[in-house]
Amino acid sequence: MNANNHNTINIAITGVGGQGVLTLAEILAKAALAEQLNVRVGEIHGMAQRGGHVVCTVRIGTDAMGPIIDSGTADLLVGFEPVETLREIHLIKKNGCVLMSSHVQYPVAVSMGTTEYPTHESILQSIRGFTKRIIDFDAMDLAQNSGSSYALNMVMFGAIIGTGIVPISKESALRAIRESFPKKFEKINIQAAEAGFDRVKSCV
Amino acid sequence: MSEFHELLENKPGKKVLLLANEAIARGVLEAGVRVVALYPGTPSSEIGDNLTLMAPHIPNFYFEFSTNEKVALEVAGAAAVAGVRSMMVCKGPGLNVAADPFLTLAYVGVRAGMVIVVADDPSMWSSQNENDSRYYALMGNMPMMEPSDPIEAKSMLLDAFKFSEMFELPVLFRTTTRVNHTRAPIEFEEIPVLPHKVQFQKDPLRFVPIPSVARTRHPWLLSQIEKAREFSETSTLNSTEGQGELGIITSGVSYNYVKESLAQMGIHAEVLKLGITHPIPENKVTDFLRRHRRVITVEELEPFIETHARRLAQLNSIKVEILGKEQGYFSKVGEYSPRIVMEALCRLQNCNTPINWQDIDKRFHGISDIPPRPPLLCAGCPHRATYYAIRTATRGKAIYPSDIGCYTLSIAPPLETADILFDMGSSITTACGLSEVTDQDVVATIGDSTFFASGLPGIIDAVYNQHRMCLVVLDNRTTAMTGQQPHPGTGITGMQKEVPAIDIEKVCKGLGVNYVKTIHPFESIAGLVGKIREMVKWARDNHSPAVLISREPCALLTAADRRRQGIPLPKYYVESETCTACKRCLNRLSCPAMYVDPETEKAVIDDNLCNLCGTCVAVCPQGAIKREEK
Repeated sequence: MNANNHNTINIAITGVGGQGVLTLAEILAKAALAEQLNVRVGEIHGMAQRGGHVVCTVRIGTDAMGPIIDSGTADLLVGFEPVETLREIHLIKKNGCVLMSSHVQYPVAVSMGTTEYPTHESILQSIRGFTKRIIDFDAMDLAQNSGSSYALNMVMFGAIIGTGIVPISKESALRAIRESFPKKFEKINIQAAEAGFDRVKSCV
Repeated sequence: MSEFHELLENKPGKKVLLLANEAIARGVLEAGVRVVALYPGTPSSEIGDNLTLMAPHIPNFYFEFSTNEKVALEVAGAAAVAGVRSMMVCKGPGLNVAADPFLTLAYVGVRAGMVIVVADDPSMWSSQNENDSRYYALMGNMPMMEPSDPIEAKSMLLDAFKFSEMFELPVLFRTTTRVNHTRAPIEFEEIPVLPHKVQFQKDPLRFVPIPSVARTRHPWLLSQIEKAREFSETSTLNSTEGQGELGIITSGVSYNYVKESLAQMGIHAEVLKLGITHPIPENKVTDFLRRHRRVITVEELEPFIETHARRLAQLNSIKVEILGKEQGYFSKVGEYSPRIVMEALCRLQNCNTPINWQDIDKRFHGISDIPPRPPLLCAGCPHRATYYAIRTATRGKAIYPSDIGCYTLSIAPPLETADILFDMGSSITTACGLSEVTDQDVVATIGDSTFFASGLPGIIDAVYNQHRMCLVVLDNRTTAMTGQQPHPGTGITGMQKEVPAIDIEKVCKGLGVNYVKTIHPFESIAGLVGKIREMVKWARDNHSPAVLISREPCALLTAADRRRQGIPLPKYYVESETCTACKRCLNRLSCPAMYVDPETEKAVIDDNLCNLCGTCVAVCPQGAIKREEK
């Protein structure tokens, strides 16, 4: 971290439009606000949402002013999909932490055979060129086990808290989930977040 | 996802995490605004999305999704002339649509506060150009404010209404994507009670700008803007902070990047932050230029402040180096970031950047195997079926004028049915022009919301001038691209009132189109292909416009309905034994819910992504795509 920017945690979240990246960013920020922390969220809406690549930023700390996280400044890169994680790997700072779901969602160009999807090992190899701190697990599997593929973002939310990088307690995180969703989805979402939390806690 | 109910709470002091657009919607309440009119446009869309939900709960408040931006500005402008506070909202290109009333509104002025929110889109995240709307303030002599973050988006909005009333002029409230789409903690203030209806006081010699009236109004406008400049000189919205040899003038979101860069690099500088960028506080800027040997101007897009600074330096014979876009320190293209500011500062100071970005870029560009994932039509999007049919019926040989909406994404392979586009409504009018100068068939496509917003004059042109063109109206029952807002064809108003919908078929017939048919693309792809062939032939034979309405609700609406109902429907699947791995389904439709099994090379449908449109069934030559039994 830079000397003059020491009290800001930069979190970049990336995935495919429709995976719930924006919702995760908002809930993460709500939980931060509940902890009395200053926070900024940067989002892009519109064209970027239509099944394309999405990246969202959450900046927590008193020095957070603008929404942008530049290359080499993210403390934590959260990837909902391997290739989308790789697409934003330039954001990670030296020794920053990458939290990645290994579940693949094929881009149309790959389905049409105009390009190939890299192997998982090749993706990990490229990420290692930026940081050695990689937490890699199948979050989609955990989401489905919790009751719905739609809970993927809550698995990732739990996982973020599990890294201990973000100054938000598990209790505040779960409260933010309860306050943000209709009651009928609460059980699945909480279960998903717990699953993500436990999965990551066991490897940090 | 923030609940609109929260925005209605009269709890001064409460702190809530809000998107700047939500903060602006809240500001409407706190400012006592009586009328808001707009046509949705990203990055400003969520302002209307929240106001339409809030509107029925606010006594005496009126909100409408207007037909287009010109209409919206006239509706809101009249309300402010009558004497109640009003607001109009648009994206950058939307202000171009409203340019006509905009420039005259400043001449006649307003009796109560009026704010025009314009959201520019540097980097064009969801726009067809990155025009810098600040020049409208200059051209129209309309005061302008530029908030730098979501907190100012609300606080300055309240200032803008007071400013407007002080000088009887509308205020242009200019934001950019990175302001509109940033969330921050926002503190609520008191909500006042809105006034009831007002009595319109006639004053035609002010509000009807026939030449003799306009000639008196132009000098009035110039004197008002001069008074506004005097105010701008002393306003705390234009303020300096920090000390140092170096001077920096900035406005809007760039202010954050300047502050972050100075802190990170440990550079001392005096920063002049301009909240009111028209009329620019000339004396304040002049004094600032006098205090420094070197002044950097940091602003996205055009050198608006920079040009003012150069003008003032020249006028006052100040020897100062002004560094901005003219010498290439900053770009006119795209949005900025702290990195861009730091790189410019380092170039100026001849030092290394605090982070070795060149090294990061080099390592990153060394990764060659990242497949692209551009935005594309959703799984289950009815446009995919329609475009597939258009392409099949015309064998890809017709000219395909496109329009503004999700469907412009049909530019991508394999649909490739977007050949020309200027602006809202241009599909029809460019088709008119093209049909006169080529012998090719012309099949234009326009969305339902765009049809109402800007399509009708084009249809009248086509009918009256007998242009041989075909139009397919992609009627997905919503304004999809900007987030599912209603339009005159949906039967719901901005006040959430149910009203008779305007029927596109009747409109076309009423305007004199002699070939008008409606089809539902998911009913039969083959039928759709046949109808398009018939339409193209008809237009050619009759040398007149023909219209086909392809009606099917947006896949996102259908999916949301299904989720609400919670009843699982039978799924589609590829029967592996029958699939010959020809990949026709993938290559013709590019549906995001289909992929190739890496081992068998056969097509697979992803249950989590499939929206159950069934278009792929019609495309498979083997009949391998099936649906589960109920």
